[in-house]
Amino acid sequence: MEHESKQILTAWGIPTTRVELARDAAEAIKAARELKYPVVMKISSPNIIHKSDAGGVKVGLSSELEVHQAFKEIMDNARAYKPNAKILGVTIQEYVSHAREVIVGTLQDPTFGATVMFGLGGVWVEALKDVSFRLAPLTADDAREMISEIKGYPILAGIRGEPAADIDAIVDILQKAGQLAHEFPEIVEMDINPIFVFDRGKGAIAIDARIILKEEK
Amino acid sequence: MAEEGIKAIFEPKSVLLVGASGVKERPGVISPALFTSIISNMSSSYKGKTHVLDLSGRLSGAIKSSKDVPKKQELAVLTPSPELALKHIRKLVDRGVKAIIIPAGGYKGEQLEELVRATVKRGVRVLGPNSAMGVLNTANGLYTTSERGLMPRRGKVALISQDGGLDAAMLDWACFHGIGLSKFASLGDKVDVDEVDLLNYLAQDGDTRAICIYVERIEDGRKFTDAIKEAVKRKPVCVLRGAGKGLERAEIFDAAIKQAGAIRARNIEELFDIATALALQPPMRGDRVAIMSNAEGPAMLAAGAIERKGLKLAMLSGEVKKAINSRYQSIDVTNPIDMTASAGAEHYEFVLERVLADPNVDGVMVVNVLRSRTIKPEDVEVVAKAARKSKEKPVVDVAVGGGDHVLVREVLRDKGIPTYDLPEKAARALKALYRYGQVLSKVKE
Repeated sequence: MEHESKQILTAWGIPTTRVELARDAAEAIKAARELKYPVVMKISSPNIIHKSDAGGVKVGLSSELEVHQAFKEIMDNARAYKPNAKILGVTIQEYVSHAREVIVGTLQDPTFGATVMFGLGGVWVEALKDVSFRLAPLTADDAREMISEIKGYPILAGIRGEPAADIDAIVDILQKAGQLAHEFPEIVEMDINPIFVFDRGKGAIAIDARIILKEEK
Repeated sequence: MAEEGIKAIFEPKSVLLVGASGVKERPGVISPALFTSIISNMSSSYKGKTHVLDLSGRLSGAIKSSKDVPKKQELAVLTPSPELALKHIRKLVDRGVKAIIIPAGGYKGEQLEELVRATVKRGVRVLGPNSAMGVLNTANGLYTTSERGLMPRRGKVALISQDGGLDAAMLDWACFHGIGLSKFASLGDKVDVDEVDLLNYLAQDGDTRAICIYVERIEDGRKFTDAIKEAVKRKPVCVLRGAGKGLERAEIFDAAIKQAGAIRARNIEELFDIATALALQPPMRGDRVAIMSNAEGPAMLAAGAIERKGLKLAMLSGEVKKAINSRYQSIDVTNPIDMTASAGAEHYEFVLERVLADPNVDGVMVVNVLRSRTIKPEDVEVVAKAARKSKEKPVVDVAVGGGDHVLVREVLRDKGIPTYDLPEKAARALKALYRYGQVLSKVKE
């Protein structure tokens, strides 16, 4: 689940938005107070992958009342969307202003083992398959090379006077994700998507993440 | 030190050819004609000692029984059917054979196991089965294949392959285009010897300056990339990818070999084009290329190709421009340098020497359009003469055209200058030299 995946990333030194799981509205309000307003709330269910489609995402919530209402709506929407879904509750997380989106993934290739993937977020990765790969673990040079290899690289380097994105922060995430996949082959797949990358010197933060572990036989 | 068994495959002190000349041809049985072809190919090309063991004894002069084989035949080439071969293989190992090449296929499960027990488990290295084109070594004339006329010129490029049909096609290509090879091996089914063994051996081989591999199937990807990483510290490795087992995700394979420092070729022509440049010329340490030509059009095509490859057109230094113009006023010294149609051998030599000495230049593409009054094929030899004075920077030559390129190639072939018929191919070669320069600077860090 997202909050568990993020706990793993945080423990491994990959910056992520803080996230708390609330099982009822009171827990949600308590969590929101700790995180600072505004907050983002998302349904937490192993059976609901496309949270937005299920009406399971609310953003920019800035008061206890809004959090209270959002909790109820998200739960109702999710139950209506998939009546048999196992629902753990609703996650509350800090709101992060929008930035350039990238994705970092890992997989266990049958021939080469732990492999890291990099791409720009959203339409770039899905429609254009504009991604690059390297075997884990990565040197900083490997990571830089895989970032500059994608066709959309100018978007990160900065076009028309726009400042460059924080490439060093992406390098760091790529190396850490690679290390994680290399040391724990039981991580069959990891998908950190999206990562918001701020301007140079301002870092990057994982907004959502999914880690798939090998099923015990 | 190269491993003894692998060394015996390429540099045996003595070779034993094993077959059965009297076996009747039928499906699944390797043709006795193939056996006699190998014998005749070896006798006409191999400089070392050869013995023939004919298990169904008709050939005159052949040994009739494995117990009569002289001791210490380092390499055995085993052509009979699996049934017959397995009956004799243990005796051959007892006689001191260190390595075996098996051109034949048809070994089934239990037969493969017996083969491994009788050989690999006793320290003997096996190339094959299905190593259809076997092994070629242009230094000692070793030629363990039944096909005729596929011995390439002696050169510095080694080629590893693993598919019978493609092997023959690539060797034919190399022969036809005058590409010099040091060694060739066909991996076949890889019951024992694989690309990692050969990479390790060729990385140490004094006759080889660049290694080419066609990869069709791969079992352990990491072992392969680790072997590449080691090899590229000594010499460049070029890879052509097939589409068999282990290569299903081409984008991961490509990324993995790039990360390891290999240079990927997209087709056979590109493989030999870049490998030849890498074998003959020093790596390019920067991305600034000077182009010099006696015709404007080809120079423009060359400049476009250089930029498309992500390389840069060098800005010549003021002193070099002045030195050229003080001798030849008519030469336009803005890169690409247009020496005009009146340029002859002396112009080429003078300008190339100056350009190579320019600290702003990392490599040079020389373009020549042959002209009967000013520059004849033999005049192009000055390119090699001038290039020899600079050991640090690569030079490639483009003799634009068809027949003209062949003529220039004949002049430059043994003088260490790679020649191309089109500027795009020369640009690709320079790009590969630049890539290898980058790989080396990373290794040295």
